[in-house]
Amino acid sequence: MGIFAKDKPEAAVADAARSNGDTAFFGAKLAVKGKISGSGNLIVMGRLEGEVDLAGELVVAPPAVLNGDIRAVTLAVSGSVTGTLSAREKIHLEKSAVVNGRMTTPRISVVDGATFNGEIEMKKPADGGGPPKRPDQK
Amino acid sequence: MAKDASSGTTSLVSRPVVVEGEISGEENLHVDGRVKGVIRLAGDLFVGASGVVEAEVDARSIVIQGAVTGKVLARRQLEVQPSGRFNGEATAASYEIRQGAVFEGVSRMLGSKSQAEKPAASADPELKK
Repeated sequence: MGIFAKDKPEAAVADAARSNGDTAFFGAKLAVKGKISGSGNLIVMGRLEGEVDLAGELVVAPPAVLNGDIRAVTLAVSGSVTGTLSAREKIHLEKSAVVNGRMTTPRISVVDGATFNGEIEMKKPADGGGPPKRPDQK
Repeated sequence: MAKDASSGTTSLVSRPVVVEGEISGEENLHVDGRVKGVIRLAGDLFVGASGVVEAEVDARSIVIQGAVTGKVLARRQLEVQPSGRFNGEATAASYEIRQGAVFEGVSRMLGSKSQAEKPAASADPELKK
């Protein structure tokens, strides 16, 4: 995905999200409690509590604070997440990421400086719900 | 889009996204997907043509191009555009309902105290907080 929210001012992120009609965007002053599902991508800069089940990319950009169960195809975190994170393809933790909890993903990258307390389980996607890719072929 | 963004950013629930729960904040919100639950905004709510909202809403202005069902409070204005459908209980300081729009339910004017402050339904305490 072309949209990576890292270090961009919020307005720029919002505009980028809007220009791509499938990308949802929750700004820094928005709080969401409950369940978020569907396809498409989501950029969160605000507070989110509950469950996310997304057939797309989730970008957690600062000053975002997430709490709950999060499932997506790819997860890019530069904000704060507490709970379980599960990615069908990969999880990426940026330098500013603060993650407390459990991550399940077939691929992971962590930038120097990221904070992570918890467990990582690395496994190939077994649910078959993801796009038909073969990440085993390098 | 047709709204003033004086309270800053506009968040977006895009077409393929469903939110069940509560959305609140000091922003504007644009819904092209689905929201079920509660929406409480300091800014405006804009429901695009593909947007479906089943919620208790409290926002500054509300513009409906899609479908909204529920108990709705627009502190400034409620506008239902020609493609829009509203079904429920509305309270607003002013209304604009365009030709072709569907508006089914109850409307009250904000400010006419005898009307607006009368508890309309058993769900009223939830509206306060």
